[in-house]
Amino acid sequence: MILERLGKELLYFDGGTGTLLQEKGMKPGELPETWNLTHTEEMVDIHRQYFEAGSDIVLTNTFGANALKFHNTDYELEDIVAAAVVNVKEGAWMGVHDGREVYAALDIGPTGKLLKPMGDLDFEEAYDAFKEVARCGEEAGADLIHIETMSDTYEVKAAVLAAKENTSLPVFATMIFDEKGKLLTGGDIPSVVALLEGLRVDALGINCGMGPAQMIPLLEEILKYASVPVIVKPNAGLPKQKDGQVYYDVTPAEFAKIMREIAEMGASAVGGCCGTTPRHIRALVKKTEKLKSLSVREKRKAEDFTIVSSYGKAVILGEEPRIIGERINPTGKKKFKEALKNHDIDYILREGIAQQDAGAHILDVNVGLPDIDEPALMKETVTELQSVTSLPLQIDSVDVRALEAAMRIYNGKPMINSVNGKQESMDAVLPLIQKYGGVVVGLTLDEKGIPDTPEGRADIAGKIIEEAKKYGIQKKDIVIDVLAMTISSDPEGAKTTLAALRLVKERYGVCTVLGVSNISFGLPCRPAINSNFYTMALQAGLSAGIINPLSEDMMRSYDSFCALMNYDKNCERYIGRYAGQTNTAPAPKNEGITLRTAIEKGLKEEAHHLAGVLLAERKPLEIINEEMIPALDTVGKGFEKGTVFLPQLLMSADAAKIAFAVLKDAIKETGDTEQKRDKIVLATVKGDIHDIGKNIVKVLLQNYSFDVIDLGKDVAPEKIVETVIREDVKLAGLSALMTTTVASMEETIKKLREKKPDCKVMVGGAVLNQEYADMIGADFYGKDAMQSVYYAQKCFGRQEI
Amino acid sequence: MDSRVKEAVRYLGYGRHAVDEKTKGLVRDSFEELDRTVQGRLVYRIFELDVPDDGRVKIEDLEIASRNLAKNMKGCRRAVMLGATLGIQVDMLMKRYSLTDMTRALVLQACAAAALEEYLDEWQEKFKNEAAGEGYYLRPRFSPGYGDFDISHQKDFIRMLDSAKKIGLTMTDGCMLTPTKSVTAVIGMSREDIPCHKKGCEECKKTDCIYRRQ
Repeated sequence: MILERLGKELLYFDGGTGTLLQEKGMKPGELPETWNLTHTEEMVDIHRQYFEAGSDIVLTNTFGANALKFHNTDYELEDIVAAAVVNVKEGAWMGVHDGREVYAALDIGPTGKLLKPMGDLDFEEAYDAFKEVARCGEEAGADLIHIETMSDTYEVKAAVLAAKENTSLPVFATMIFDEKGKLLTGGDIPSVVALLEGLRVDALGINCGMGPAQMIPLLEEILKYASVPVIVKPNAGLPKQKDGQVYYDVTPAEFAKIMREIAEMGASAVGGCCGTTPRHIRALVKKTEKLKSLSVREKRKAEDFTIVSSYGKAVILGEEPRIIGERINPTGKKKFKEALKNHDIDYILREGIAQQDAGAHILDVNVGLPDIDEPALMKETVTELQSVTSLPLQIDSVDVRALEAAMRIYNGKPMINSVNGKQESMDAVLPLIQKYGGVVVGLTLDEKGIPDTPEGRADIAGKIIEEAKKYGIQKKDIVIDVLAMTISSDPEGAKTTLAALRLVKERYGVCTVLGVSNISFGLPCRPAINSNFYTMALQAGLSAGIINPLSEDMMRSYDSFCALMNYDKNCERYIGRYAGQTNTAPAPKNEGITLRTAIEKGLKEEAHHLAGVLLAERKPLEIINEEMIPALDTVGKGFEKGTVFLPQLLMSADAAKIAFAVLKDAIKETGDTEQKRDKIVLATVKGDIHDIGKNIVKVLLQNYSFDVIDLGKDVAPEKIVETVIREDVKLAGLSALMTTTVASMEETIKKLREKKPDCKVMVGGAVLNQEYADMIGADFYGKDAMQSVYYAQKCFGRQEI
Repeated sequence: MDSRVKEAVRYLGYGRHAVDEKTKGLVRDSFEELDRTVQGRLVYRIFELDVPDDGRVKIEDLEIASRNLAKNMKGCRRAVMLGATLGIQVDMLMKRYSLTDMTRALVLQACAAAALEEYLDEWQEKFKNEAAGEGYYLRPRFSPGYGDFDISHQKDFIRMLDSAKKIGLTMTDGCMLTPTKSVTAVIGMSREDIPCHKKGCEECKKTDCIYRRQ
């Protein structure tokens, strides 16, 4: 069994196959995987050479097999994979002369597609592609699964899950980094290590992209964070080009010399990638002979880091204190509840962005409401948030199904809020952490409630840590919340919490989190208590407070603490944020202008301010009709005449939007019912991912008080039809950028005509013109954003401007 | 105004008109943000080229039927295929601003387009000198989607450059490049220096386009 040897002795992989295949006559453009069936002898011979050179693990020639599912229909995937495994075994039979145990590793490479939301490949679709290959591989007798050359954390997650859920084979995963230690999608080394360890791969590491020398600094960082065995498979140097041919020029001797250094650093399995040959492997094996047993190498021990990550930069807890933004949570927030009920995801995303801008490092996400499909909404919210922010998320729910739904599709290693000392809670949540990875928040309460002594709380923390061990969850992946109880009902509450914070840290060395603002519940002037308690908690060693980063008081406490404790080097951040700031809010510039002018000129602050001022003397609807609409009309007409340009049109729209928000609140307060608004569905059609034009139209239509249902980009015709019927919508706007996607626009129109003939369709986008629009049967072609506004007004019988 | 600011303003539809100060400020901020957060990546390969006189172009095993491209490549012996991308970070920024500040989203997308062109121009200038050293002159860049050069050839670029692995450049089923701020192109290399149009925009037949370079 390979797992018995892995990490105890140095294991050898094979090297590259591309060059060897070319030497054996493979033509450019040919799919290498088909050679498993068409050139069996040649394939077996290549594998044999590697076994003879000393490789213990040889990869099957299936790197692009999962992509075949997308591109090639001439061969059955199953046959290719089966032949590939047999070829490696044949090679072993012919090439191993010393009776050593060797392994056929099913090679899985990337799909070559970008996953949603940035690309068009569904996470589950990627999962299915990997699943099929993995299953075929196990059936064919592969000894392990080796996922490699991955440059996207999301895709590698799909691959590892597919391999682990559908086979019982050991799973290795290696990634391709650039020389700065970044993935092409932006991930850094700690975030990759955290993700892969969380998914419980048996070994992880780095392959391709560069030569052995360039890998040394990256390996150093990987070894710092990784507690599982590490694989290193470099190219034979950096690629060079001559006469249209790509080649690599690190010789076997040089390669072996540097690889020896790599083995000494602590790599557990080594081999080569592009440009390396059996000669490279032979030299490598010889050069590292004396290092074969791990005991002769320096025993390495990774430090314990508590890491959470998203697709980008990792956040490490336990050093500088971190901020977890609490605002994505409906508790006590009327507007947020309303947004959840109306499925207003944009509102939630804006809350996330605002917190990031204010300085949050992690965002808590809680979308729990009675009568809501929480698993579905949690999954959607997490996916959408990850497309606008690179901050790691803390998935927060009491519904275990919601936790699992989100953990499965989360890109990175999330925080999970929470588990507690109740057996039932631990039985439900800990298996999820074991499977998907994550840093779990442990609440110090159990069947008997919340202990009122620091010792009692610390004991529960200990119980959770012990229970987690049974699942193989390390202490570094548990953070403890000792709970803050309001001092208005428990006078000793704050003291107990602070003492408990110190105690759990001292006893177990774990990181801590705390929902800080509970402390002041029921008291006046809560920010004063909260911010002072926050400072005290930080002083007691709190690793991450769950706070409102939009609260000036809380941020002042945080920034001051960091400056005072020298976390903020040279007080740079503090000075950056507070230099030149006075204590009063600055009055908007441009005194003496009207709301109308403010909107025409696109002045947001002034529009906000003046809308408030006008409300003192006039009714909201009056302000809208007499000030705002005329301003928008003026700008719209200017745009048509070519004296106002698109950025200016949008600035006005943004200013109007802000003024509208002020008025809308006022309308609700006075109890005036808002006018029933006409609904318009907008969508960028299936296959199309360019949606900026549609977004511009959306902003303008909203300005003219249409109720826009934005279905986003790459939207299937069925979804558009279904929404139009469900909401009884009378106008749909479709956008497409290229000729290739106009076909799906046409299909959408056809379906709309069939199922909802009274719904008009307007179209727009770079590739369209009137003629094209007529051809595909649209009712209206909008050559620019204002035209769609005019057409919408006409459709709903409003007065045209 | 430096040239990339000029280009961005053109993409925003200002034509010959002067750009207002507020928009100009936004353009400047957006370029700063891009410089801070975005890293361009590029991959290229040189191939043998055959341009028979029948409206076809043959690059290694790839055969392209396009009269426009054939005209552009006439007399060339080699072709450089290239792919470049600004990465998914730009897409994320644009999505973010679409939610909070649509004007900024619009300006950012114009600036990203200009930044990508500039990145390609800078690379091409360097490459031009290298090629000159070997006695080759370069033709203008030509991309799938220009004239009758079918967009479906994107997949050949991605395959022949191995661009998914090298720079993270992929495409959707509808042949759209992902990340969205990406370009593929081919450049002819010829032994003779034929004066060519500077760039593609003036070449286009859509003369009433508001984005046309003036």
